This record gives sequence, structure tokens and C-alpha cells, in this order.
Amino acid sequence: MKIRGLLMALALASLATAPGLAEEHPGRASIEASGYNGPSTCEECHPGKAKELLSTVHWKHASPVTNVDGLDAEKEYGMFNRIYTMCNGNDVVNNLKEIPVNPETGKSKFTGCNTCHPGNHLSDVGSTGPEAENAIDCLVCHSSAYDFTKRVPFKDGKGQVVMGQDRSTAAALAVGRPAAKNCMVCHERAGGGIYVKRGFEFTRENDVHAAMGMTCVDCHKAQNHKLPTGFDPNTWANDGLRVACSDCHGAEPHADQDYNRHTAKLACQTCHIPRTGGTMAKDFTRWEQGADKFYEPGTIQAEANSTKPVYAWYNLRVRNTPHFIGPDGSRNDGTSKIYPFKVYQGKAFFDKKSGQLLSMDFAPPMATGDVLAGVASAASTLGIKDYEPTPGWQTLYFGSSHLVTKENALTCFQCHTVGGALNFKDLGYSDAEVAKLTNPETYVTKVLEKQKEEW
Amino acid sequence: MKKRTLVLAVATLFAVCAFSMTVLAQSAEMKLVGVITKIKIAGPAATTATAILKDTKTEKLVEIVINDELTLDKFKDHRIVEGDEIRCKYKSVDGKNVSNYFRKTAGC
Ligand code: HEC
Ligand code: HEC
Ligand code: HEC
Ligand code: HEC
Ligand code: HEC
Ligand code: HEC
Ligand code: HEC
Repeated sequence: MKIRGLLMALALASLATAPGLAEEHPGRASIEASGYNGPSTCEECHPGKAKELLSTVHWKHASPVTNVDGLDAEKEYGMFNRIYTMCNGNDVVNNLKEIPVNPETGKSKFTGCNTCHPGNHLSDVGSTGPEAENAIDCLVCHSSAYDFTKRVPFKDGKGQVVMGQDRSTAAALAVGRPAAKNCMVCHERAGGGIYVKRGFEFTRENDVHAAMGMTCVDCHKAQNHKLPTGFDPNTWANDGLRVACSDCHGAEPHADQDYNRHTAKLACQTCHIPRTGGTMAKDFTRWEQGADKFYEPGTIQAEANSTKPVYAWYNLRVRNTPHFIGPDGSRNDGTSKIYPFKVYQGKAFFDKKSGQLLSMDFAPPMATGDVLAGVASAASTLGIKDYEPTPGWQTLYFGSSHLVTKENALTCFQCHTVGGALNFKDLGYSDAEVAKLTNPETYVTKVLEKQKEEW
Repeated sequence: MKKRTLVLAVATLFAVCAFSMTVLAQSAEMKLVGVITKIKIAGPAATTATAILKDTKTEKLVEIVINDELTLDKFKDHRIVEGDEIRCKYKSVDGKNVSNYFRKTAGC
């Protein structure tokens, strides 16, 4: 208890010194004098930082993955090569390029999954060596004065597609710890649009930590550019470090022991993140034409914090089949807890012969709406010759670990009632147990006392 | 007598309609998808901005006032620029269209 108090005090103290004190960066005078020439400028005083970044998930979009069924232990996995229906493409089949011209407008544009990468595309996802080191966009994560008109794809003199960067001295003079905004450059667009993947609208109104001025890196504390993550069943790549609520709050954070008793079977998120949001469904077999005449996959979008999560037992292992990727676990395996998930369903083409999900290159359908041309292009990139595309749905469970609330956290009678937040029967409780769990006897004395206190 | 009641009834109905219509005009949320033709923002310290959107359905130009911090910041560092397609929700407040939702449509 004392130690935890100290930890919290330290965490809060570090907040006071954290945000945006760009002018205090000790490298300022030197950068002002000699200008910014990319990572080599930073390396003068921070040797080895560029090389170290090249081995992280943020550069490789892949890592060894040990908790997902059916993967090859010798290989690395991540957005670099994953195929699932939130994106239906990846850095390989959807490599950044100019799409074919739209027949109605005669116009083209650039698209590619690897725009969410701090490289310049010439040195792309997973590249290594001095050229890659020099291509890193340090400032997209570290500057508070980045000009995003420069972070757009273009063709260079040799006709190669380059991802632009702001390498101005002005941006380099505003260097500091990454703010939430730096991370959100990419993370708010995960899944192909603002707050699409899970409605990750990290604002003061939505999250107790944001309200206290905490930023992403206050919890995701990087060590040599390795960023800790959790066990979201659909974020596979990791830097080998993990973050959990209990790292800071301990396993028994409540003054009220009745809540603490629940933490053996319920994850913190189950009570503290009672809502989720973002895209409910996407249909990659049907692209819709926009005002600019280009096409986008049919997408059903819900707002942040607007939908009910689905609750399931999770032992931190992932069931991975062609039509379902989500939590493994059960009430009786001794390790599982009940977690909340954002459930998403995506329609795309499966190979009738192998039963596996096929991926799609977005360039052809974006230009003309021809989805099978997209499947053919991806198959050709991957060397798949013999396949028979047939449409089908896939269900994905995404973790729900942000937009934490205290005020709206689930309390006794929201669960222990008939038709409450959890479906006890679906979670494996027997009829007799369900009867007991949904009987007011579980909470009535306590809540009566609480009412007396409060009124 | 009968006629008077009828007139009264019609008048009441009229009043009710007119009343509810003004209420609607003030509180109804309007939605549009459109391309930004112009952003007006007064420097890095600005706490408000205006954007002109060309409504995709009607082709009309609609002037929107933006006050929320996150969107203003995206104007300042150019994560949102002229030419971007926007999904916008707004309400009419004192004759101005004030945004409470202003997001780019596509992201890939
Ligand atoms: C002339 C030397 C010098 C140069 C050049 C320099 N820095 Fe620093 N920087 C420092 C010193 C000294 C510190 C404080 C000690 C430390 O954290 O290593 C620091 C701290 C930092 C921190 C930690 C800030 C914090 O508040 O915790 C970051 C991030 C950083 N520098 C990034 C960069 C980047 C990116 C560049 C290139 C644009 C760069 N630095 C260039 C000297 C320099
Ligand atoms: C240039 C785009 C970009 C920026 C900027 C960015 N991310 Fe990411 N991040 C990604 C992508 C893409 C992935 C998914 C990689 C995968 O699964 O293969 C990812 C994955 C992650 C993960 C899970 C994997 C891991 O490394 O643990 C965490 C946590 C994360 N990011 C946090 C952050 C934080 C915090 C920041 C700000 C300091 C940030 N990201 C900035 C693109 C970005
Ligand atoms: C994907 C985002 C990202 C990119 C790209 C990135 N950094 Fe960082 N960097 C971080 C995060 C996160 C931290 C940890 C911040 C904290 O906890 O205070 C960090 C910390 C640092 C620090 C201070 C702590 C330390 O480890 O010494 C320096 C210096 C630094 N980065 C330099 C660089 C340089 C130089 C580059 C380009 C070669 C770069 N960073 C690229 C995210 C990034
Ligand atoms: C209060 C602490 C906290 C803050 C602040 C925070 N995160 Fe997290 N984040 C977590 C925890 C805890 C997990 C993993 C939980 C688990 O899976 O058990 C996580 C997971 C993630 C993941 C993996 C996918 C997922 O959603 O599970 C990403 C990516 C991520 N965070 C990015 C961010 C970014 C970007 C920000 C800032 C906008 C941020 N986080 C702010 C605590 C935090
Ligand atoms: C890096 C440390 C850290 C992590 C990780 C973290 N928190 Fe916090 N949390 C804090 C700090 C610091 C505060 C503010 C101090 C306080 O009031 O306890 C806080 C505040 C809270 C509060 C509000 C407390 C109050 O009295 O108002 C809740 C609820 C909470 N956290 C839940 C969570 C949950 C759930 C997670 C995991 C998804 C989590 N936290 C992850 C550090 C953390
Ligand atoms: C069974 C539901 C439930 C679970 C599980 C749960 N909490 Fe809570 N928690 C609550 C409720 C409800 C409150 C608000 C209590 C109040 O306002 O009196 C709360 C309050 C808090 C507070 C504020 C301190 C306090 O005593 O009010 C923190 C911090 C916190 N929870 C963190 C966590 C963390 C971390 C976990 C996981 C280890 C967790 N909670 C698990 C329901 C839960
Ligand atoms: C998020 C839903 C949730 C909330 C909120 C919640 N509970 Fe529970 N509660 C459960 C679950 C699930 C179990 C069964 C855990 C297990 O399998 O051991 C349980 C078990 C119990 C039991 C043991 C029942 C038995 O006889 O086996 C009691 C008593 C209880 N809760 C009381 C409370 C009280 C009092 C509160 C408010 C302070 C509360 N619960 C809040 C979900 C909840």
C-alpha cells in the first residue's frame, strides 16, 4: 500500500514535467546553429538511437508471436504480413503506390498500408542498414511543431514513390517526449479512418487518465524505443514488453473490498470500460463510390463509447481460425478472466479450395470498384496461382483498454440483476449459479448502506 | 360559435407549428459530407476558425465555425487541409453553423 502510494505519487510528479516543454531540450542551441540533417543530427548527442529503432515493432510491423494458434514459430507476424478483415490487406499486398486512374475523372492518388510507418518508403518496413537509419522520421514522434503538409507521398525524379517528411529546423527545435497527438497521427487512423478500429477517442471527456493530463507514453513507457503493449487478441506484434492496469494500481486498488474481491475473475477493463465503439462491420466485397469518384470499402461506423462490449473469458491465448480471431479461455481453466471486447465483423473473399481468407490490393477497387481485380493483384504478389474466391464473413474480437471511467464504472446492480451487463449463462455459470448471481441478495445490504451514506 | 372555435383551433395549431419549427431550427443537428474549399484561422494561438465546405449532395457552400481544440490543432499543423473531404455535424447558434463533429472521411 505504501509502495503503491509512492509509485502513484511518482507517476503524478512525472506528469508535471512531461508535456511539451520543447524549449528546454538541451540540444536546441546546437540544432539551431547547424540545422537539422535528419537522424544524424540527433545521433551527435544520442548515439545508437536510430539503430535501436530499426529493431522495434514500429519499424518492422512484425515480431515473434507466441500466444496465437496456428503460427509458424520461426516466422515473425504483424501488420506487415497479417491478413484479416479489419484491413484485408497489409504492407506487402498494399504497398504504397499510385492507383490506376479513375475512368470518370482521369485522376489517380496514392494509397498503401505502409504510410503508417516512420520511414520514407525507399527505406521501408523492416529495412536495415545505414540508409534505413538515416531515413527514420524521428520528428513525427518527437516534434510538437511538425508540418503535416510535408508528410505526404510523392514521386521522385526516378519515378519512385517516396513518403515525405518534415525535416525543417523549426520542427527539430520543438523536440520533446511524444505527446498523445504524435502517437495519434497513426493510431487514430488505425483500420483506415478516424476512430475506425475501436473508437479510440482519447480525450478528457472520455478517459480519466487523459483528464489528468496523462499521455500515451506515461503508460506505454518505452525502453530503448521498445513500447509495452497488452494482449489485444488482434494486435499480435509486440516488443516483448507488457503494460497492465495493475502495474500502477495493484490488484486491489479499491477502498471497498467488495470490488477488490472481483479482480480475481474480472479484468479491470470489464467494470471500468463499460462502452466501446468504432466500426461494427465492413464489406470488402462491396466498395462505395465517394464524391471524388474513388471507391472505399462499405463501412458501418459507430461513435466512440456508443456500443456495448461483448464479455468473454480470456486466458491471453488467441484462437485463430479463418472465420474467427479472438480470445481463448473458459471459466474453469484456472487462468482466464472475464474481459470486455469490441466485436467486429468483416466480409471479404475466402479461397474455396483452402478455406483461407484471401487478401486484397486496394489500388484496383479504389480506382474502379473492381474488387476481384484487387484479389487477383494480391494473389499475384503472394504467388498464389490456384484459388477460387468466395465471399464470407469473419468475426474479430478487439481488446478494449482505453476510455477508462470511474464515474460510469459498472456497479453491483448493473451486473447482479436479470438481464444485467454480463450474460452469466453464456459465460458458463449453471442455472443454479445464475439464479444466485442475479438475486439482489448479492448486493442489497451493501447498496442500502451506500444510499444512506450518499443521501 | 362553431366558426370561432374552428378559427381558434386553426390559430392554435398554427402557433404550435410555428413554435415547434423555431425550436427545431435552433436545436436540430445538421449533417453534411463536403470538401473544404477554404480554411480561415488566425495563427497558432487561435481558439476559433472557420471552414467553408462544399456540400457534396447540394453543391452549396456552407460556412462552419470550429471551436474544438483537437480540430483546431489539426488545422494548425495541417493534418486537415483545403481539399480534404469532411464528415461534419453542426448546429445553428446565433445564426452561425457551429461544428460539433468534423472528421476526414477516408484514412487509408
Ligand atoms: C547537442 C546535443 C543534442 C542534440 C543534437 C539532440 N539532443 Fe536530445 N537531448 C540532449 C540532452 C543533453 C538531453 C537530456 C539528457 C537525455 O535525456 O539524454 C536530451 C533529451 C532528449 C529527449 C528526452 C526529452 C525528455 O523530456 O525526456 C528526447 C526525446 C530527445 N532529446 C530527442 C532528440 C532528437 C529527436 C534530436 C534530433 C532532432 C535530439 N534530441 C538532438 C542533447 C541533444
Ligand atoms: C508512424 C505511425 C505510428 C506512430 C507515429 C505511432 N505508432 Fe504505434 N503502431 C503503429 C503501427 C502501424 C502499429 C502496428 C504494428 C503491427 O501490429 O504490426 C503500432 C503498434 C503499436 C503498439 C503495439 C505494438 C507495440 O509496439 O507494443 C503500441 C503499444 C503502440 N503502437 C503505441 C504507440 C505510441 C505510444 C506512440 C506514440 C509515442 C505510437 N504508437 C506512435 C504506427 C504508429
Ligand atoms: C514511433 C515513435 C518514435 C520514433 C519514430 C522515434 N522515437 Fe524516440 N522515443 C519514442 C518514445 C515513445 C520514447 C520514450 C519517451 C518517454 O518515455 O519519455 C522515445 C525516447 C527517445 C529519447 C529519450 C530517451 C532515450 O531512450 O534516450 C531520445 C533521445 C529519442 N527518443 C530519440 C529518437 C531519435 C533520434 C529518433 C529517430 C532516429 C527517434 N527517437 C524516433 C518514440 C519514437
Ligand atoms: C492509463 C494508461 C494508458 C494510457 C494513457 C494509454 N494506454 Fe494504451 N494501453 C494501456 C493498457 C493497460 C493496454 C493493454 C491492456 C491489455 O491488453 O491488457 C494498452 C494497449 C494499447 C495498444 C494495443 C492495442 C489495444 O488497444 O489493446 C495500443 C496500440 C495502445 N495502447 C496505444 C495507446 C496510445 C496511442 C495512447 C495515447 C493516445 C495510449 N495507448 C494511452 C494503457 C494505456
Ligand atoms: C502508468 C500507470 C497507470 C496505468 C498503467 C493505469 N493507470 Fe489508472 N491512474 C493512474 C494515475 C497516476 C491516476 C491518477 C491518480 C489517481 O487518482 O489514482 C489514475 C487514475 C485512475 C482512475 C481514477 C481514480 C480516481 O480516483 O479518480 C481509474 C478508475 C483508473 N486509473 C483505472 C485504470 C485502469 C482500468 C487501467 C487499465 C486499463 C489503468 N488505470 C491503468 C496511473 C495508471
Ligand atoms: C466489479 C467491478 C470492478 C472491477 C473488477 C474493478 N473496479 Fe475499480 N472501481 C469500480 C467502481 C464501481 C468504482 C467506483 C467506486 C466508487 O465510486 O465508490 C471503482 C473505483 C476505482 C478506482 C478509484 C479508487 C476507489 O477506491 O474508488 C481505481 C483507481 C480503480 N477502481 C481501479 C481499478 C483497477 C486497476 C482494477 C483492476 C485491478 C479495477 N478497478 C477493477 C468497479 C470495479
Ligand atoms: C461487471 C459485473 C459485476 C459487478 C459490477 C459486480 N459483480 Fe459481483 N460478481 C460478478 C461475477 C461474474 C461473479 C462470479 C465470479 C466467480 O466466478 O467467482 C460475481 C460474484 C459475486 C458474489 C459471489 C456470489 C456467489 O454466491 O458466488 C457476490 C456476493 C457479489 N458478486 C457481490 C457484488 C457486489 C456487492 C458488487 C458491488 C460492489 C458486485 N458484486 C459487482 C460480476 C459483477
